[in-house]
Order: sequence, then C-alpha cells, then structure tokens
Amino acid sequence: MPVTIVHPGNESRPKAATPPARLASLAGKKIGLLDISKPGGSFFLDRLEEILRTKHGVAEVLRTKKPTFSKNAPPQIIEQLRGMDAVVEGLAD
Amino acid sequence: MPQAQNAPPIPGLLPGKKAVVVIFETDCPTCQLALPYLNALKQDSVQVIGLSQDDERSTREFVGQLKISYPVELDSGLKISRAYDPHNVPTFYLLDESGQVQQTLVGFDKKGLNELAAELGQPSIAPADDGAPAWKPGCSSRHLHPSQPKSGSLGTPDLEPEADGGAAENGAKLLRRSGDPASRITLRDEEDAFEYCRKQFGDALPVIPPTVEKVEAMVKASGLAKETVVARVPPFYGEATVEKIAANAVMAGCVPEMMRVLLPLVRAACDERFNIHGVQATTHFAAPLVMINGPVRQELGFWSKQNVFSNVARANSSLGRAFQLILLNIGGGRPDGIDMSALGNPGKFSFCIAENEEENPWEPFHVTRGLKREQSAVSLFAAEPPRGVSEHTAPAGKTVLETISFALATVWSYRTCLMPEAIVILCPEHVKTIHRDGITKEQARQFLFENTGIPVRHYSKEERAEGTQLAANYKEITVRGEKCYQKFRSPEAISIFVAGGTAGKFSAVIGSWSTGPAGSQMVTYPIPDK
Repeated sequence: MPVTIVHPGNESRPKAATPPARLASLAGKKIGLLDISKPGGSFFLDRLEEILRTKHGVAEVLRTKKPTFSKNAPPQIIEQLRGMDAVVEGLAD
Repeated sequence: MPQAQNAPPIPGLLPGKKAVVVIFETDCPTCQLALPYLNALKQDSVQVIGLSQDDERSTREFVGQLKISYPVELDSGLKISRAYDPHNVPTFYLLDESGQVQQTLVGFDKKGLNELAAELGQPSIAPADDGAPAWKPGCSSRHLHPSQPKSGSLGTPDLEPEADGGAAENGAKLLRRSGDPASRITLRDEEDAFEYCRKQFGDALPVIPPTVEKVEAMVKASGLAKETVVARVPPFYGEATVEKIAANAVMAGCVPEMMRVLLPLVRAACDERFNIHGVQATTHFAAPLVMINGPVRQELGFWSKQNVFSNVARANSSLGRAFQLILLNIGGGRPDGIDMSALGNPGKFSFCIAENEEENPWEPFHVTRGLKREQSAVSLFAAEPPRGVSEHTAPAGKTVLETISFALATVWSYRTCLMPEAIVILCPEHVKTIHRDGITKEQARQFLFENTGIPVRHYSKEERAEGTQLAANYKEITVRGEKCYQKFRSPEAISIFVAGGTAGKFSAVIGSWSTGPAGSQMVTYPIPDK
C-alpha cells in the first residue's frame, strides 16, 4: 500500500534572476557602495572607494548604509542605488 | 489636508452617508496588509470604498487574493489621487455625509484604525496580536512618482499605469489570506516513508510521515480552513498555511490539540518586532526560546519543573520541534544552507519551557508582560543557550542575586554593555530564598540591573576587544566599591522567569541576540482558550 504524504515545505519557486553582464572596465562608471552597518565595514569601503577613484577612474562613488545589518535593506536604500552600474555590498567584522 | 473641493466624484460614493475611502496601490505591501482590515467594518451606517491607483487586472487580482469584501474602484488617470494628494498609500479618509474630509490616516496603524472604527461607533477592527505589526509605513503615492506629471496638471489625458506597477505581473502572490493546497507526495512501494521524510523534511532525526489522514485531523483541530495563510516565514517567506503547519506538527509528534498553541506561535515568530529573518540568518547562537504561561500548561501538559530544558514532556518537545521544523521547511532556514550560525544551538531541535507558576511567589511572566493571569500565553526570545549559575551556600537572597549578576555580566560578550538583554531562569529554591528576604520581583530586577557591571580596568583601547569600541557610550557606576560600566541599558532588559525542580540551587542566565528595533524584540501572544 503506497503511502501518500502532505508536502510540509515551501513549494513556491522564486523567479530566477539573470545576473547583469560584467563590466568590461570601471572607468567612467557609477559605483554604489552599500555599508551593511557591521562594525569595521567603513574601513573596508573607505579603502575600496579610494582604490576605485585613484586607480580605476570611476565617475561616481555613491556611499549608503543600511540602518541595521540584522534586517533587509529598506526600499529607500535600494532606490538610492538604482542607476548605479555596479554595487558592492560590504560585509565586515 | 485639502478638502479636495474640486475633486472628481468618487465612484460609488452615495451622498448623505459617512464613508471611509482608502487610496492604495496593489503592489504596496502595506496596502496589502492594511486593506483587509476594513472588511470588519459594518457597512450599514458607513460606506467603505477602495480606490486603486493601478489597472483593472492588478486590482481584480488584489481584491480576489485578499478577499476584499467592499467595493473597490479604479482611480483612472490618478485624478482623484491628485485632488486629495496623499503623500503615501494607503491613506484612509473619513468623509462626513457631505463628502468633506473629517479625518485622515496614513499607512498601516492599528491604533488609528481602531480609533476610526470607534469614531463610527463600531468595535475595534485591528487586534493587537494577529501577527501584524502595530504600525507600518506605506509607499509613496503613485501620483508623486517621478514618471507621473506633477499635481496641478489635471488636464493631461489619462495615463496608463506604469509597466511595473501591476502586482499581478507574472501572477505575483500578494499578502493573500488563502494559499495553495499543499501537494501530495505518493511514495513508491519500496520506499521507507520514515527514511524519505527524514531526508527531505527532517531535522536530522527521523520524523513521523505527515500522512493525509494525520494532517487532516490536525487541520480539523485548528478550526480553520486548511488554505488559511497564518504567516509568511522568513528568510524565504514561505506561506505557512494551516495545512503546512499541520504537516510539520504531525512530523514533530504533536497531538492535534497543539494547533491551538502552534498557530499563535507562528504568528508571534513572524511578528516584525521579533525579526525571525535575522534570527534565522545570523551567525550568532540565537534560537527562538518558546516560553509558555497560563492554564494551557495543565491543559496540554507543558512541563515547568525538573529538567525543564530537556527531554521530559511531549508537549514541550513536540511544540518546540514543530516550530523548528516550520522554520526549516517553510521558512527555508536550513542549518546546512542559509542558516550560517557559527556554532548553532542545541535549542534548534526544540527550545520550549513553561513557567513554574506554582513555585513562583511573584506574578507570572506573562502578567509582567501585560496579560491577565488566567490568559494562556506564548512568548518568544531570541536566545543564546542557557548558562548555569550554582549557588548553594549563600544564605541571603541578595547574595543569590549577586551570584547571578556575575553570570549576567558575561552575556553576548563580557565587555559589551547596553545592547544585550537577558532572561534569568530562577529555580524554585533560589526564588524562595529571595522572596523570603522580602524582595519583590521588581526589586530583584532592579538589584540585578544596578549590580551587574564590568570593571573599567578590564577595558583597554589598544587591545580593541569587542565592546571596547563603544565604551564612550556606557554609563559608569560603582559596584562593590569598584568603578564599572553598567551592563544593561535598563532594568527592563532583564526578565525573570521561574522554572525548574524544587531540589537543587541551580538557576540559569540566557543571553540575547541583537536587541531593540535594530535586532529582535521579545513578543508575547495570547493563546486562545480551549
């Protein structure tokens, strides 16, 4: 006698997102740096910004920060990053 | 608030009757949360009208999925939105008999909704403990979006809604009230059902196969339709329908009557204040500690005495396990995947205790949390594993508390002050001694607050140890004649819960994960009566 069970898990399938094409060069590009508010994140991102500006000729670096690392970024933070050519989401600790 | 004197008429609005009009967007999560609450308004003396800023297809999907029972109209060309000019959606307008705006409510606000109902002479429509937050901000109104003409350009032709404005795109699921039925899995004859379920849905230990008959009995005991969505469980926000919750309850070994506790528990866990998303995804030790109070302890056999944290009672173990299986199977917080906790927590198998109210000379925990003594309740705390405190020799209650304060100093990390919270699990022998010395529960908490300090000499800027970087914010106090930083930000950061057996002077201290609005806040939900 075959056993029939009720599926106890999440059956929704998230839509697959296609990653954007890699940037061929950073020159003239707009780069967003998202600090997730972990201690030490700013040290890493400060240095990254310096490298992006001095060695890669980026046109713009936009710095923004999540209010807390423990929760998703609120929509207004995501909105700020719209229009960037690439975003670096910095972890720390 | 402009009185919108030149506003185009609101479709369906009858003169001579008060009205609640709500302007909304279909893809705004706050609108999806808020609009179903208006279903509870009795419409004999008041009209309720929804005005959608989106197209007919999205709006129809919204009304259908959220089971909106009052008329919903389209604000074509956003003309009415421009005239009333809400900054955010949802915005609720209470209109008097002549159509003048009497009151405006922006966003989702339970208190405001209940005041609106009271203004109409109706009972409250937004219960405090239904899993939704007390307040949630909305989204900016579509007529203020950069792609829309500014207000004042009323002469422009009707606009099609933005291409991405429709919530029904690709059949998107809204915060709907009814989910899909769970699919059935028929195993091959030669397949061992226990082994299959352990592999696919277990917590590394075998589970009871959730057969259709067993799940149906569990659903029946809930008194709700099986498709009812109780919550959406992070981090994947899977829909916890009554049927899916029931299937996990069967797997964990719950009796059907346990659905009475499991449903408010899942709602409490998904209360935004608790932030189960963060609790599930953190690298910290945190696991949700379930604390049970009230008559349900006797009714369903929750254990509060010796071995309270252990493998002693079916009710504690099966409820705690069912909850963890729900987080794992519906929420997706798999310990070999998205749950990246560095060391984990034995409580992730099951972490459920009841208060020993019979040995507690003070008010029970849920009463301190604001509920009535006869109300059964479930509370949740994002908890580290318990650390024991032995004190067998001190004759005085204050000395017992002092011993506990040394353990409290170590929660989160020894030098970290202000952020952590803690629960003190007082064993019956300790609480007896403290109470005998005339100390009240409030005084005990105050004593622990005032006497838990980290000596300033243990901080060195050069070493950059955790907690040192924030020392400028700490408060200096004197404890036992020594200059210290006060460990906790307020007495309320310490909770007292009486549990355990009557023999053995062993209490415990349980530290928190990140706390407050930026972390996890303790929640307490009532459990419905039998």
